[in-house]
Amino acid sequence: MNVTVRIAGAAGQGVQTLGDILARSVFRTGLYLHGEMSYHSRIRGGENAFTLRIGDSPVLATETKADLLVALNAEMLVLYRPAVREGGVVLTDEGVGEPGDGAVRLPAGRLARDELKLPIAAGVVLLGAAARLLGLEQERVSNAIRSAFGDRAEPNLRALALGYDQVPDRRWRLPPPQFQAGEAMLLTGGQAVGAGAIAAGCRFLAAYPMTPGTPVMEFLAGHAARYGILVEQAEDEIAAINMALGASYAGARALVTTSGGGFALMVEGLSLAGMIETPVVVHLGQRPGPATGLPTRTGQENLLFALHAGHGEFPRYLVAPTDPADAFYLTMKAFEVAEKHQVPAIVLTDQFLVDSYAVVPALDPARVPVRDHLLPVEELNRMGRYERFAVTESGISPRALPGVSEKLVLVDSDEHDAYGRITEDLAIRRAMVEKRLRKADGMREEISPPEIYPAGSLRGKRVLLGWGSTYGAIREAVEKLGDGYAHVHLRELWPLRTEELRRVWAEAEEVVLVEGTATGQLGALIAGETGLRPHRFVPRYDGRPFTAEDIIAEVER
Amino acid sequence: MNEERYLAEVDLAWCPGCGNFAIRKSLARALAQLDLPPHKVVLVTGIGQAAKIAHYVNANGFNGLHGRTVAAAAGIKLARPDLTVIAESGDGDLYGEGGNHLLHNIRRNVDLTVIAHDNRVYGLTKGQASPTAPRGYRTRAQPAGSPSAALKPLALAVALDAPFVAQAFSGEIERTADVIAQAIRHKGFSLVNVLHPCPTWNRIQTFAWYWERLVHLEERGHDPSDRAAAFAVATGSGEEIPIGVVYRTDRPTFADGHPVLAGDPLGLRALPAPNEVRPLLAEFA
Repeated sequence: MNVTVRIAGAAGQGVQTLGDILARSVFRTGLYLHGEMSYHSRIRGGENAFTLRIGDSPVLATETKADLLVALNAEMLVLYRPAVREGGVVLTDEGVGEPGDGAVRLPAGRLARDELKLPIAAGVVLLGAAARLLGLEQERVSNAIRSAFGDRAEPNLRALALGYDQVPDRRWRLPPPQFQAGEAMLLTGGQAVGAGAIAAGCRFLAAYPMTPGTPVMEFLAGHAARYGILVEQAEDEIAAINMALGASYAGARALVTTSGGGFALMVEGLSLAGMIETPVVVHLGQRPGPATGLPTRTGQENLLFALHAGHGEFPRYLVAPTDPADAFYLTMKAFEVAEKHQVPAIVLTDQFLVDSYAVVPALDPARVPVRDHLLPVEELNRMGRYERFAVTESGISPRALPGVSEKLVLVDSDEHDAYGRITEDLAIRRAMVEKRLRKADGMREEISPPEIYPAGSLRGKRVLLGWGSTYGAIREAVEKLGDGYAHVHLRELWPLRTEELRRVWAEAEEVVLVEGTATGQLGALIAGETGLRPHRFVPRYDGRPFTAEDIIAEVER
Repeated sequence: MNEERYLAEVDLAWCPGCGNFAIRKSLARALAQLDLPPHKVVLVTGIGQAAKIAHYVNANGFNGLHGRTVAAAAGIKLARPDLTVIAESGDGDLYGEGGNHLLHNIRRNVDLTVIAHDNRVYGLTKGQASPTAPRGYRTRAQPAGSPSAALKPLALAVALDAPFVAQAFSGEIERTADVIAQAIRHKGFSLVNVLHPCPTWNRIQTFAWYWERLVHLEERGHDPSDRAAAFAVATGSGEEIPIGVVYRTDRPTFADGHPVLAGDPLGLRALPAPNEVRPLLAEFA
């Protein structure tokens, strides 16, 4: 069972805060939810909408239609009213719309102004009415208000109570609690990437603000003092990645966070990471391009860019998490792979994943072991001459930090010998290229296989193939489409595991790629690696996230 | 300590007569004067003739990208305040490609020593005008003469209130060693602009040209704590070339009072155990 609530208003009307409060209240009730924030790139004015889907099982996608619309102004009423389901409810202020238009018009603005002397609290009055219609306990919503507003909670608690009084009774009967406190967590993808970085021992973040990379920077900044992380706003993204590489060379696990345009500036630094075999994790939150594109919208256009970024040939690790829990674990893994194999690792998310809330099973930091991959100092001391780039069978050279023993550590962006000294010896050049590329073999063995749902044979089935944050929408579509459909999803994209993909193509009736691009980049990637091409492609490039309805409509067309 | 200890026994790929040989010697002498063990020093360089010095000096080395020398050096120093971090590169690297990092790290006031090899030309790419080349300077890439005015790095640094700003001449090995040692010792961001001839590409600013114009600030009674006087020296006509400490001040460094940087160096801290992370995750429960 699902109920979908949409709160829509101008930027500055508190849509995000109201959405947070409602999401937290639903979560505390023991129900699953997905909360999608959709923005215009403006600080005031423009359209902001929070779409909250409540369910009795995990929800990982958004939808277009809503059961309950809270329209904070006339523009939002006009814009979103057509997306209210038959039998749904529209709540708005008495000053908005026309009498008799079917909307429930409440004196929210008047009460906030006259009773509370706080006009901005009109939204909380409407939230109270919505919460009552949903059958949420007022005390739960009050608690969420207390944690959102702190010592400014009082007038907002009164606004909530006034809202509860405005509607007679509940309109929906929510399911009973589905989990106990402690069994589940509510967080956004951006928070999950930040938490995963902290859990993996990140000590250094340099970043230049860019949507949707910034929430990760802000999350780490908020936890920097407690967890011992230096968060520095760099002068540009070029500085960010070079500072991060300096810090990493010196022993601090390092992260940068950005979006496509900023990542474009980091590309030479990524190549440097490959050459000096110094770990760094890049969080790349995608938004539609080219250039500035749609700054606050979502898309998946950077897959091939992220895979091919950087001049020269060097191995990298690339993951695209499906949901906040996955974002937590894969960010941890990205740090571990980067440290162990001494490569750059890219965590490829998008605005939809970064900004959306979801309820996920409680996160367990012990699930991804965090290990020290450095050469122990005692061993370093026993060595005669330390060679930072010693040629080994695995391609991984024992890595030491500068200044922990008398052994010197030299790294060079020029081709270098085992010690790290610049060289033009072409036999050494060949050995070094081969050594660096060998690391990909070890990495490939640690890649998880694509997820295939339902398990078992794909004979006679149409497979919907996706990667990253489209997971929830594709899964929901496959479940609704029923027999004859299956879902294959990639979350660790490079190095690419091809054996399961060959089986998918060998067995399935048809492979349909679902991707937030206009060109089908995963299809090109798989074709390049295996010669296999998707039979059909469901594109999306309007900046909005996929919904199950969209996918079903396209597939059945 | 003996300065020989810092000189790596490798072939030096600089042109005969290049000022870089002397600067290398001055750097080694400064490190010896300060008694800094090589493994506690990181020499961060970019790309260019000067940047090769990371391979020619016995110390830890990070020979990174062209222009990104100061950014990488800042990352190293922030992670490891226990190390002496010296960023050393040419005028093209530090003042051209890397100008933005120079500006912002002076502002940050990370405790770095930046040594700029300033010969007014691009040596590695065969003689184009650098940002410090005078207007009208002719090269194969600027056949009608460089149309832009020369950057004045000392004036830039004084204007940004860099805590230590000095200029040296490669021909004066002892004096240059002394000013580099002072720069390393000074807490906060230090810039030492070391002028040197390029016998291969620069036929105008030769040894003789420099010797005729050098003036030593300490002999002139210059007071480096006087910012107005420092600015006057730094913006001078160019007829005289000031050598010595131009400006010296103390202001809070990036690390002073920073809530995260007190305590063990970030780069040496232990990895977190799962239990240390659970309180963080409790925020989402």
